[in-house]
Amino acid sequence: MKCCNPTETLKNENIVVEGEAKEGLEKIVLVGTPNVGKSVLFNRLTRSYVTVSNYPGTTVEVSRGKGVLGDREYEIVDTPGMYSFMCITEEEKVTKRLLFNEKPEVVLHVIDAKNLERMLPLTFQLIESGLPVILVLNIMDEAKRLGLKIDIEKLEEQLGIPVVSTTAALNKGVDILRERIDKYVNAA
Amino acid sequence: MSMQLSNIYDDKIEEAIEDIENILEGDYVISKRAFSLLLLQEDEDALEEVKELEGKNYLKIINIVEETKKEYEKPLTFVISSYRQKQAKILTDSVMTKTKGKEKSFSETLNRIMINPITGIPIALLVLYFGLYKFVGQFGAGVVVDFLEGSIFEAHINPWINNILNNHIPWEWLRALIGGDYGIITLGIRYAVAIVLPIVGTFFFVFSIIEDSGYLPRLAMLVDRLFKNIGLNGRAVIPMVLGFGCDTMATMVSRTLETERERIISTLLLALAIPCSAQLGVILSLLSGEPKALIVWIIFISFVFLFIGYLAAKVLPGEEPLFYMEMPPLRLPKLSNVLVKTYTRMEWYFAEILPLFILISILIWFGNIIGVFPKLVGVFRPFVMAIGLPEEVSEVFLFGFFRRDYGAAGLFDLVKEGILSTRQLVVAAATLTLFVPCVAQFVMMIKERGFKTAIYIAAFVLAFSFVAGYALNWILLVTGVLA
Repeated sequence: MKCCNPTETLKNENIVVEGEAKEGLEKIVLVGTPNVGKSVLFNRLTRSYVTVSNYPGTTVEVSRGKGVLGDREYEIVDTPGMYSFMCITEEEKVTKRLLFNEKPEVVLHVIDAKNLERMLPLTFQLIESGLPVILVLNIMDEAKRLGLKIDIEKLEEQLGIPVVSTTAALNKGVDILRERIDKYVNAA
Repeated sequence: MSMQLSNIYDDKIEEAIEDIENILEGDYVISKRAFSLLLLQEDEDALEEVKELEGKNYLKIINIVEETKKEYEKPLTFVISSYRQKQAKILTDSVMTKTKGKEKSFSETLNRIMINPITGIPIALLVLYFGLYKFVGQFGAGVVVDFLEGSIFEAHINPWINNILNNHIPWEWLRALIGGDYGIITLGIRYAVAIVLPIVGTFFFVFSIIEDSGYLPRLAMLVDRLFKNIGLNGRAVIPMVLGFGCDTMATMVSRTLETERERIISTLLLALAIPCSAQLGVILSLLSGEPKALIVWIIFISFVFLFIGYLAAKVLPGEEPLFYMEMPPLRLPKLSNVLVKTYTRMEWYFAEILPLFILISILIWFGNIIGVFPKLVGVFRPFVMAIGLPEEVSEVFLFGFFRRDYGAAGLFDLVKEGILSTRQLVVAAATLTLFVPCVAQFVMMIKERGFKTAIYIAAFVLAFSFVAGYALNWILLVTGVLA
């Protein structure tokens, strides 16, 4: 699949523009490295089910669903995992193109809290791009079990974006995340 | 931008970013800063876009990139990501503290014994033995299929349907469409519900547990060396293992592999040597009565897998893949997720096969009426007989042409009638395993790899399966292993 030539990119853009006009729903896009729980969170936010597993690469296609946050309905988009903007595999490119073309209202960068250090570089790239990022520290239960403590307020301050901690698999912190997204959108 | 992020890179890179930012005139969705960084790293998409939008300034930008590259020994991608990593470390150190020592010695030990070859290979074999052979092969394809097939369909539904048809339907064509040997209910729905579904269901159940435990990537590490020899890296284990569930799904997942070469090799191997769960279940249960036969089948298919993989890796040019994969933690699978996942996969699978199986029944029915079906079966007959099989098996191959699982179910029926010797059973099972990818998989191959590659692979697989079946039959005859 040669999906990276410019004509195709332009074509994709057209499709998206049409889609927006019809649907009119703002988009919330979940991104992050593989196996951090994007799909679990997607299931929570949309109250639906896409397959989740404990290994990287379960999601190879974009899933779209609807979810209500506050008093608004959004299109929630789950993406294949991505390590960096410099993509290697096909499915990483899918995510990058989606981010660049679909003008999301909010980008949720979902990370594994245990591996904060390894995952922050992608956060930097998202912020650099001027995308509306909220950082989601997921799998907090495992981080806590390892004795890791993260100063979330300080992290917010240093990054200049909202940071929320969750354990999506146990449905912990998801309500707070919903509130924060709602607040973020209304403040913007 | 916050303080933390404005000083990630050094002055030279910042300067280059600024220079490029000043030149860029086009309208980019992402910020010019981020876009400039992509250009410095020579991202293909970004370069293409600039070429299109910036016209003659394109060369100026390339010039800045080239100049900046000269300043560093290492590639800019590397330099830029090291700066990001450094910043990530500083930031992490300032917000994260570790309070107590880690207490996960058990999962650590488990992890070690899973990836150490000496202990890992026996573990892998145990997982295969209990998960696949015992649970899918003997329980799913044995106990459950026998019950649904024998006690429900053969004993009640089929006679009941045929009885109604015979008593109330005066038209033979309608009777043949619904009941009889190839009817929608007596063949299509029976295959789907009584043979394929229990096998696929038990497989998906075992597979979901394996998936959620985090075992797969460890298995990938274990076989990485073996896979390197056939031009794949350990990462390819995932599509291969998924292939045992459904080759169509696995062909799609092969896009997670890093090089086009690896994607082609794994697509080929999936089409050729990886049986899908329905096939595997039927074969395991048919051969489980004859351990020797089962071993011959396993050795033969493994040999084909490795041999063809090795040849493909030699023939296809390209670089050796590097193995790199995120190692997720070992987790105790959550029963609710395992069940939901098994259910959704079964639902998906069933929704896909049921209409197809019904359609195939109708096609066979129609083919019988206009006399094409016997002719098509006739096409396979000389080949089937050449590899030492009775002519009745030709029909199964035609079934297999539509769906792997349909063919396997057909084989199940033939064995029940007792017309195959052990040697013939092994040859038929092996040839059917290799034989053409099913229609759905073929469509997926076209979608993922392109029309030409898909056709080449399918043609090769078709020819190779009979050659290999012929060779296997000959070897078995000469050596008299399964006499």
